[in-house]
Amino acid sequence: MMKETNVMEIQADINGDDIAEAVPVRMHAADFLRKRCGLTGVHIGCEQGVCGMCTIVVDGVAVKSCLMLAVQLDDCTVRTVESLEENGGLNALQQAFREHHGLQCGFCTPGFLMLATHLKNSGKRYTLSELREEMSGVLCRCTGYEGPVRAVAQYLGDQMIDDGLPC
Amino acid sequence: MLDHVITKPEEAPATAPNADRDTHRHIGRAILRTEDLRLLRGDGHYVDDDQPSRVLEMAVARCPFPHARIVSIDISEAMQLPGVRHILCPEDIVEATRPMTVLRPVPGAAALPYYALAQGRALHEGQPVVSIAAATRAVAEDAIELVHIEYEPLPCITDTAKTIESEAPILHPGILASNILAENVDQAGEAHRKLGEADVVVQDRFRVNRVTPLPMETRGILASWRPGIRLLSVRMSTQTPHLVRKQLAEILRIEESCIEVAASDVGGGFGMKLGVYPEDILASLHAMALRQPVKWIEDRLEHFRSATHGRESLHDYQIGATQDGLIVSLIDDYVTDLGGWNSSFGSSQLSSVTFAGPYKVGDAYVRRRVALTNKTPIGAYRGYGQPEVNFAREVLMDRLARKLGMDPLDLRRKNMLRPEDLPWTTASGAVYDSGDYPKSLDMAADAIGYEAHRNAKSNELSDGRKVGIGFSSFIERTGYASARFLMKRGSQFGAHESLTLRANRSGGIDIYTGVSSIGQSTETAMAQVCADILGVDMDIVRVHSGDTAASPLNTGSFASRTMIASAGALQEAGTVLRAKILRIAAMALECAESELVLEGRQVRHSQDAQRSMPLSQIFTRAIVGQGIPADEPPGLEVTTHFEPPEAAFAFGTAAAKVLVDPLTGEFEIENFVLVHDCGTVINPMLVEGQVRGALMQGFGAALGEELLYDEQTGQLLNGTMMDYFAPTAADAPPITLLHTEVPSPVTPLGIRGVGEVGTIAPAAAVTNAVCNALAEFQVEISALPLTPEAIWHALRAPSCE
Repeated sequence: MMKETNVMEIQADINGDDIAEAVPVRMHAADFLRKRCGLTGVHIGCEQGVCGMCTIVVDGVAVKSCLMLAVQLDDCTVRTVESLEENGGLNALQQAFREHHGLQCGFCTPGFLMLATHLKNSGKRYTLSELREEMSGVLCRCTGYEGPVRAVAQYLGDQMIDDGLPC
Repeated sequence: MLDHVITKPEEAPATAPNADRDTHRHIGRAILRTEDLRLLRGDGHYVDDDQPSRVLEMAVARCPFPHARIVSIDISEAMQLPGVRHILCPEDIVEATRPMTVLRPVPGAAALPYYALAQGRALHEGQPVVSIAAATRAVAEDAIELVHIEYEPLPCITDTAKTIESEAPILHPGILASNILAENVDQAGEAHRKLGEADVVVQDRFRVNRVTPLPMETRGILASWRPGIRLLSVRMSTQTPHLVRKQLAEILRIEESCIEVAASDVGGGFGMKLGVYPEDILASLHAMALRQPVKWIEDRLEHFRSATHGRESLHDYQIGATQDGLIVSLIDDYVTDLGGWNSSFGSSQLSSVTFAGPYKVGDAYVRRRVALTNKTPIGAYRGYGQPEVNFAREVLMDRLARKLGMDPLDLRRKNMLRPEDLPWTTASGAVYDSGDYPKSLDMAADAIGYEAHRNAKSNELSDGRKVGIGFSSFIERTGYASARFLMKRGSQFGAHESLTLRANRSGGIDIYTGVSSIGQSTETAMAQVCADILGVDMDIVRVHSGDTAASPLNTGSFASRTMIASAGALQEAGTVLRAKILRIAAMALECAESELVLEGRQVRHSQDAQRSMPLSQIFTRAIVGQGIPADEPPGLEVTTHFEPPEAAFAFGTAAAKVLVDPLTGEFEIENFVLVHDCGTVINPMLVEGQVRGALMQGFGAALGEELLYDEQTGQLLNGTMMDYFAPTAADAPPITLLHTEVPSPVTPLGIRGVGEVGTIAPAAAVTNAVCNALAEFQVEISALPLTPEAIWHALRAPSCE
């Protein structure tokens, strides 16, 4: 049995703050962000890397933070949903989710927002069906996905390739 | 007719100059959600987001067998682990609590008492046996590993059809003589005689799969106890805070005044988060023993085994008709699988209510039997029996059409209730209120392109795939037909919704409701209705959700009833509040009330715009009791309890167009049309969201999801998200939503509920489309989920050769 007292020092840029913490080596990144950093927008849904609720951006790439140990965040730049707002209000992505009714209970929303942030940063172009494939790493049981897909497509703007299919 | 696909979402409107207060400025508009502003920033407040100092975490040892005797429990090693604070064993529970209680009992069912921890015997895999509170969840789980429980596995039964046979091992001997918990019959006329006399009879056994509601947030509770004031404070992910309070008081044997339950943001419920579960009792007991907050957040593996499942049932459905297609008898004899125990909401009860669907048949009979098995208890799941029976009836309707050589659309149209037939009382006593059912059928046929399909020379595509179109018409009960109706069924709750409207000194209106925010958008919808009834701007209305300490005793968010009943409560409270506001303003502005207009954030004279007073001043006068009429009591606050007199019945028709590969059974849904009526629409954007979400759950359950149990060992085979496939964004078929809008005559504002409707129609529509595509092979489908593999097997069934 691995001991709770087996800890390691880590240092990371988390949403622009320089964080230094001693973390149990068996603690996963999502628990660390929620419990040690107070970033409760990082949600936990399955702890198996399936549901995508815990999706965050680490060094520019979307990852499922339940499949990552906190110690792996050492020296990394981490962004969570709490980093998105601009000038005290919603950013363009968040606004798009609101306009397209892309959320209901809101539990999956941080996952979709961070995944979409990564897709935007990647600069890659997507057809609508490719976008749906990309977004299938985050589950949602409320919306039927139409709202989230429309919102992300709007946010990606000219990164979307018209494949002739209706949105 | 409105096509709500073309909604234009908008911010809450600012006050329009000279707005007529009788004109609805908010109701009917796609106003953007208030809830979004916090949820989009990660600023929602779900139960696990609270992390009080000194909080302990709980883990549970669960029975790994579907049926086992608990021979011995040894906790000595676990007690020694540093960080472990408290352990509860089965005997502690019997001393400290009453058995778990039921909110919606099955009529005529014997009580099956069970405690939060299994007493000597566990009846399903995942049933709690020991619980531990420790410094962290990790330590609590370490300690669970050190608890030594000796089990003696007992013979188990997991098959619904076998458990009702006489040779099945009886799971509750001493209480029951078989594994049938209850049997209820509803009937009108002489269905069996009419069936015997019918020219044509079709019948089959339809198997509906066991699924899990699977909200993205699992269950969770945070309990704290202050012995000095005897107060148990509970934060919980629940759809029913006030009913949880009632059940906690009953089971923990303390008075309700000692309990507060709050649920602010709930990450989805779908019927699964109704009432109290064993773990809620355990966390409360740990907290009360330790005087320290205790948290339990269900992990996903626990969720698959201990949160209630849904749907599983067998429907033996029969339809009798004349040679020209007039239905003379409908009979549904069905069994629902309850699992090992009766959960708070038990077996789905609405199959009996809507089994006859939208058809005009006077002679009809339905029998429900509720069966026990060694599986996780079944509870409510979005639709509550209506998707199940709709699958059986609508698939059988198409078979009847094929047998008669009649078009399935014509068969439905011939037998459908027409607007002039309503109100119509069914065999089970349901009163369909109003609507144009045949119109929904015609709209669906038009939108899916049925005429062209019917007239096509061939349904084969160049790649060999076959095109098929299938229909599924439905009726949905939304809301309850008063507390009198519920009383007859032993329900432990009412049909009403209650809320408090309270003005504040900033000039705003606070609404306090026991309805928690589960994604159903009631904070936005309630504010819309309130703003229109008062005539004020929507942004001065703030909804405070789900706290029993702040809100009047209500019912909760389930049964597609929240807005029906809440709209009535808002109407009553708003009318009283508005009259008082105007009386106070009339005194202040020295004119008659009839000369005043309540508008935006002020009351003003209708002719003289200069004579006005901001609401903040009027509200302050009322609150401090200064500057109000002498006969007027101070305060500006109204609490109302509104009970709708009848249930409202939503209705509609779905049509699916599929492309099926007859070699492999692979198929694609090219288009899915849903025509639906929820009466007066408060917010078309929200209606579309509810319908699309429920449709996707309908597709999931119809086409892929199924909890599988090993027949020999009784083990759940796919109890993880790796193995149980909920639909993803890539699985969503194209959907066309069409609405009719017939206001219900039996509800406030003409609202019908909308939360569950999408789950009902998909299974039968897609099944009928696949059978239509493969008509030349005479493929028949009687079981869900409808997978390519199932179609492949059906193509090789003896009848197809």
